[in-house]
Amino acid sequence: MNKLFSKNPLTPHLQIYKWQISSLLSITNRIVGVINFIIIILICFWLISLRFEENNYFLIFNLMNSVVGKFLIIFLCWAFSFQILNEIRHLAWDLGYGYDTKIAKITGILVFAGSFILAILIYLVGNNLVN
Amino acid sequence: MNLSTKKWLFTKISSAILIPFMIWFLLKFVSLFDSDYQTLIDLVTVKSFKLVFTGFILTAFLFYTLTISEIFEDYINDQKIKNVANKVVFTFAIIILIFTLIILHTL
Repeated sequence: MNKLFSKNPLTPHLQIYKWQISSLLSITNRIVGVINFIIIILICFWLISLRFEENNYFLIFNLMNSVVGKFLIIFLCWAFSFQILNEIRHLAWDLGYGYDTKIAKITGILVFAGSFILAILIYLVGNNLVN
Repeated sequence: MNLSTKKWLFTKISSAILIPFMIWFLLKFVSLFDSDYQTLIDLVTVKSFKLVFTGFILTAFLFYTLTISEIFEDYINDQKIKNVANKVVFTFAIIILIFTLIILHTL
């Protein structure tokens, strides 16, 4: 049985593909998936840090209010937005929609461009919830 | 139903559930990430926040561990290494998840 599994074909390496929107989105989705897993872990640590006293939390407060912190939050908005839109695209495929090559290209471009727009929208709306 | 089909099904269900959770979390996080300690404590001690956040990280960990498992499936040929990699990711995710939930619900 193990021999059978070991003979499973692996995904071809990146340099074999001719770059196009679908392959770009596929590999970006994989990379963003791993990054988001790390982000979720960092969010857990952020929440755990609240357990400590206010003086210890000051370090995280300073980081979040720095330029690096702002960059991290904008990146998080984009990474989550990309994943949201790409998952919607995948769910549509699973329901049998959007397989046509032309439509797949269009939805691919929409996901990529839309992720930036959604990230900006979420950042602006999120900020206005407080200000 | 074999294991791969079950994995695929769980990935799809968790991804559909995760979408509204992600939007909710992003809006909350953007509005509060640079807040002071007391503001954050006031927010995370609200029962509704605790409930929704619990749903969010449970779904997120399920989805991302399955996603990473899929990546291992695609790129690692050796079955033993693949099993070890999967177990490490699953164990790490469960420990972080349980620890976070205990902290959240005792705040």
